[in-house]
Amino acid sequence: MDNQPSRLTAIALAFMAVIWVSPFSWLILNAFNPLSTGQLEIPKAFGFDNFGLAVSGNAGRQFFNSIIIAAGTATLSVVVGISAAYPLSRLRIPGRNAFLWTLVLLRMLPSAGVLVPLYFAAQRSGLLNQLGVIVALTILNLPFTLLLLKNFFDTVPIELEEAAYVEGASLLQIVTKIVLPMSRAGIAVVWFFSFTGAWNEFLLPLIFARVQDAFPMSVGLYAAFGQQGAINYGFLTAFSILYAAPAIGVYFLLRRNMNTGFAGVGVKG
Amino acid sequence: MKNQANPWLTGNLFVLALGMLPAAILIGALLYFTAWAFAFSFTDLALVGKKSVEWSWVGLENFERLFTRRGFLESLWTTVIFVFFSAIVGQSVLGFLLAATLRGTQSTIRSVVEVCIMLGWLLPDIVAAFLWSATTSQTGLINQLIVVPLGFPPINFINSYALLVVTIANIWKGTAWSYLLFSAALDSVSREVVEAAKVDGATPFQRIWLVQLPIIRPHIATNMLFITIWTFTYFPLIFAMTGGGPGRQTETLAVFLYNQSFSRGNLGFGSAISVAMLLIVGVLSLFYLRLLREPK
Repeated sequence: MDNQPSRLTAIALAFMAVIWVSPFSWLILNAFNPLSTGQLEIPKAFGFDNFGLAVSGNAGRQFFNSIIIAAGTATLSVVVGISAAYPLSRLRIPGRNAFLWTLVLLRMLPSAGVLVPLYFAAQRSGLLNQLGVIVALTILNLPFTLLLLKNFFDTVPIELEEAAYVEGASLLQIVTKIVLPMSRAGIAVVWFFSFTGAWNEFLLPLIFARVQDAFPMSVGLYAAFGQQGAINYGFLTAFSILYAAPAIGVYFLLRRNMNTGFAGVGVKG
Repeated sequence: MKNQANPWLTGNLFVLALGMLPAAILIGALLYFTAWAFAFSFTDLALVGKKSVEWSWVGLENFERLFTRRGFLESLWTTVIFVFFSAIVGQSVLGFLLAATLRGTQSTIRSVVEVCIMLGWLLPDIVAAFLWSATTSQTGLINQLIVVPLGFPPINFINSYALLVVTIANIWKGTAWSYLLFSAALDSVSREVVEAAKVDGATPFQRIWLVQLPIIRPHIATNMLFITIWTFTYFPLIFAMTGGGPGRQTETLAVFLYNQSFSRGNLGFGSAISVAMLLIVGVLSLFYLRLLREPK
């Protein structure tokens, strides 16, 4: 719209932005203060000691656990999703619509709802570990991934594939040289959603991981700040920042793709 | 969808079928687990002890307990309040207002505000919980900046206004999603329509209420569908901030489910809670999907 942005609107917006980021002040003031006491105050010292603590020992190990779980889940979801979404998008399989509707319903399923059976299955098959978390998260993620990828593949014109076939391209070449590059934005979105979803995931690893060095950062942070008493706030805040950074970083890296892909998420429902 | 004449597909049916197999297995597993959750809800299965091995069928006993014992109905009510105020009122309305306002402003202001809101959304749940616990604590930002300078004694917000605090934290965290969705939706409203309304003398308020809102109605329904379901089953933020307390003030259904299943170990009863949640979410989804399909 072309109505002039009034000064009042700008001030209101700026005010809101300040309110929105203000809770971060405490996090940053404490993380860079080696003598942190968890109070909201201007630090008398400045240093990176807390970050040193947050990357060593158990904490450092938890960082790698999170990376393994998040990257593993995202990659597995995307690979499994792509190899099923392409045929789903192109072939007229009997019962396809029924299957797609099942996916829509499954996607609405609250993950808490299948937690108990999931736990039992993992316990029986000895998968109460990281691999189990990756598989479980992929299972929960897949309806969403499949639907989204199918929608993106639907937008790739089939004429291009016909042309490539006439030129002598094989199925593999058609998929890797035409379909995948053209739906890059969609794949990036799906990967991003799966990655951050798994990176943030708390409930599943809380139930699946039983020992401290198997915790991902989410559970590690919860365990650390749940313990009352002598809390090392400097360490916790530095750890929080390290934990939050990849999720935020990945978003800004993929941002351009995200905006294209995001419209698809909304409209297709 | 005319694909019968696409030789690169029909000639490779086996390969394509093989590609679908892993997904089919995983989806099958999900269906199987869902069926299991239904089956468990009729048993007295426990997490540990004798009943974790020698469980028995108890018929509808778990479902009777949902309504006769304290807990479930209170949790349902807490959840409804939480969903209504944090998702529907907070995130949706605020997200829409931001999307509508920011469209008319300079790109620098727009990106700054966008990034600020996004930070909340991108922040992992547990960090957000940690941050808001600190912000609302007795020595936290709100007390130091507002309450104490006004001459009041510091308030421990999480103890006194737990539900309000988690609601605000969730608005803070989730508004970005609604904003992004509404932003994309408003982009799809053609400029001509808005211009035409302006030429016809519509006020800015009328342009939004009578022109843009009806056009983006499908997006509103989609957004409602998503955020209602998510918020309804949202667990980590509340659990990490309050654990459901003080007392049971913030024990939403997801927290109640966790506490019953994994703290108390009543897996059978827990499954009954999840079945109830599935049914509620199913009914809500049908309602929103109708809203989505209904002709204007």
